Amino acid sequence: MITAGIDAGSRTIKVVLWDSDKSEVVNSGAVDQGVEQRRLARELLERLLGGLGRSQIARTVATGYGRNLIDFADAQITEITCHAAGVAHVAPSTRTIIEIGGQDNKIIRLDEMGTVRDFDMNDRCAAGTGRFLEVVATRLGVPLGELGSLVRQSRCPTPISSMCAVFAETEIVGLLAAGRLPADIVAGVQAAISLRVSAMAGRNLACPICFTGGGALVPGMAEALQAALGHPVRLAPEPLFTGALGAALLAQRI
Amino acid sequence: MNAPPRKLRLDEWDARHASLLVAGLREPTYGGVLSRHVGERGDTRLRHLLFDNSAAALRLWNFLLTEEDRLRGHRAAGRKLVGAMKDLGTVPVMAFALPDLVAFYPDGAWWTPCLMEHSDGLLAVADRLGIDDSFCPVRAMLGAFVTGSHFPIPELLVCSAGAVCDDFSAIAQRLEPLGFPVFWWEIPRRRSPEPGEPAVSLPGGLVAPECQIALTRRELGRVRLALEELAGCPLDDAALSASIRTANLVRRRLRELRDLVFTAIASPLPALELLIAEMLALHYCSDRDEALVVLDGLLGEVRARVASGRGVLSADAARVFWVNPVADLRAMNLLEECGARLCGTDFMFGHALMDIPEDLPPLEALARVALADPMIGPAQDRARLICAEMRRLGSEALLISRIPGASHCCREGDIIRQFVRENTGLPTLEIEVPPLSDALMPALRSRLLALVETVIGRRTL
Repeated sequence: MITAGIDAGSRTIKVVLWDSDKSEVVNSGAVDQGVEQRRLARELLERLLGGLGRSQIARTVATGYGRNLIDFADAQITEITCHAAGVAHVAPSTRTIIEIGGQDNKIIRLDEMGTVRDFDMNDRCAAGTGRFLEVVATRLGVPLGELGSLVRQSRCPTPISSMCAVFAETEIVGLLAAGRLPADIVAGVQAAISLRVSAMAGRNLACPICFTGGGALVPGMAEALQAALGHPVRLAPEPLFTGALGAALLAQRI
Repeated sequence: MNAPPRKLRLDEWDARHASLLVAGLREPTYGGVLSRHVGERGDTRLRHLLFDNSAAALRLWNFLLTEEDRLRGHRAAGRKLVGAMKDLGTVPVMAFALPDLVAFYPDGAWWTPCLMEHSDGLLAVADRLGIDDSFCPVRAMLGAFVTGSHFPIPELLVCSAGAVCDDFSAIAQRLEPLGFPVFWWEIPRRRSPEPGEPAVSLPGGLVAPECQIALTRRELGRVRLALEELAGCPLDDAALSASIRTANLVRRRLRELRDLVFTAIASPLPALELLIAEMLALHYCSDRDEALVVLDGLLGEVRARVASGRGVLSADAARVFWVNPVADLRAMNLLEECGARLCGTDFMFGHALMDIPEDLPPLEALARVALADPMIGPAQDRARLICAEMRRLGSEALLISRIPGASHCCREGDIIRQFVRENTGLPTLEIEVPPLSDALMPALRSRLLALVETVIGRRTL
């Protein structure tokens, strides 16, 4: 049986096709999010199907903030449950998931069976999210994907006092004017985000900790998180796709 | 009249009302079709709410939504109005003990921007007075005083200060220079007695130093004098004790109602109606006798539903303990749309649901209940009571709705969540609900759904 998981996130739409008989991913892909989410998701799904017909997809589950717009899905399930299912599959011993997405951050606590025990999400503000990183990259004139290599050049991370995406942008302008190096600013931003995530995670963080979501693709973030949390943090394989994978896995059970 | 319990949209209530009349429904003077409040008062939010379909719920809603008429009626009848501000259930007990005094709750105006979907302009008035959205939405009360359009200006304004919410005090202080003098009374921050310090037990299992009770008693004594002056006659202990006994009748009905709603297999009353009903413990909608009648009606309906095993939600709904009231009533509907039900509440006035001791001198009894206010002590006290209630009721999750701008909310949510998490191991969630949460609705829905999924996932273990 082949199932499809669609993660309609705020920045990208991700699709995973899962073959439950072979227990393997058949195909996966992502496109930038846009206004016509439903069309974008359908086109991506069609493209990933390749030689498969739509009729061969037994069930489809949509997740992500745009999940309710994916009306051709058989069910909609929240990102919390889908990320948990995806991470529990790729890193079964995980007890804490840190997910940095486009518009929110999540801490998901799992039991030994991979069931969600509890979760935290930032609310309202974009501080510490993927969007925040984008704002910083734009202001520094650096492609998002190059933030990591820039961080490696940092010798003295600059403390960032504001975690508001709007105020931080102003602060960064000031820091640049004061001659601070972009590498040090980016390192400071990553440290600030990590401290915020650490505060959200609270005490008694259970290990192993798995880091996933689009934010996990930014080189240096895992190390910054590790430093803030004081625990090892391992990257999920294919972190962009854990939500969609979880959705595809859950589609087997509905 | 006994249709199966379900929730109705406002337009569906019109037809239901007509059928109830045909079936012989007898309504009080403030009764009538619910949708009239949209046209008559501009309560447009009603169009976006779902309501319980019982005649008892209709009466509750009409009672709430006609409060302005009732207050003007009191004034026309020569009764004197006492605005009991930031007073969660104490001063009204004293005011109602005196002839021709009526207490009401100006803070209740915090729901006006929601009900009127900001067409009231109350928050804009507060903005202009420097009380902006960094304050609790109860700042709408300021606008209501200035415009005079939502309640008659009371003859006496009584407001507690001290350990209660800082931003409320700041809002009420703004009234004085606008020509609305306030009679302030101080309430101390409740603390644990020092070793060997004389202590007194409070309702709810709390303990406070005797000196704090004495201070509160003295302060309430000052309030008593102010009320006597307004009434033009003394408030004797016998009348105050009688008023306490009547207040306890309201509180006992609410406790029974809550227990039935929280423990029934299928929830017999929607969350929204329970929130409205609980608020009666504070202000009685300025008519305590009628509040008892309204609550009796609700209790009768709920008892019947429980006896017949019928509810407004499915029996497998996630059982959620809700902390803090919401400025947007729509949030209560949303909880249920996401597959959850109320299984315990702490709308910040748990002490107003407890019996006022009837075996103590009345002012002493009122002082003890006032000091049991969850807002004036450590958040850990509140968290401890919440944990105990969650265990008693079998709650499966904790939901804290943060009130934007409310000074007491910025830290206590974290403390309560952490405490509940460590002591019960149950999932917890904190959300922020502004007066109109439409723009945040997808995010709120997503979080609530995730909480429900988590609860359901844990059940199968």
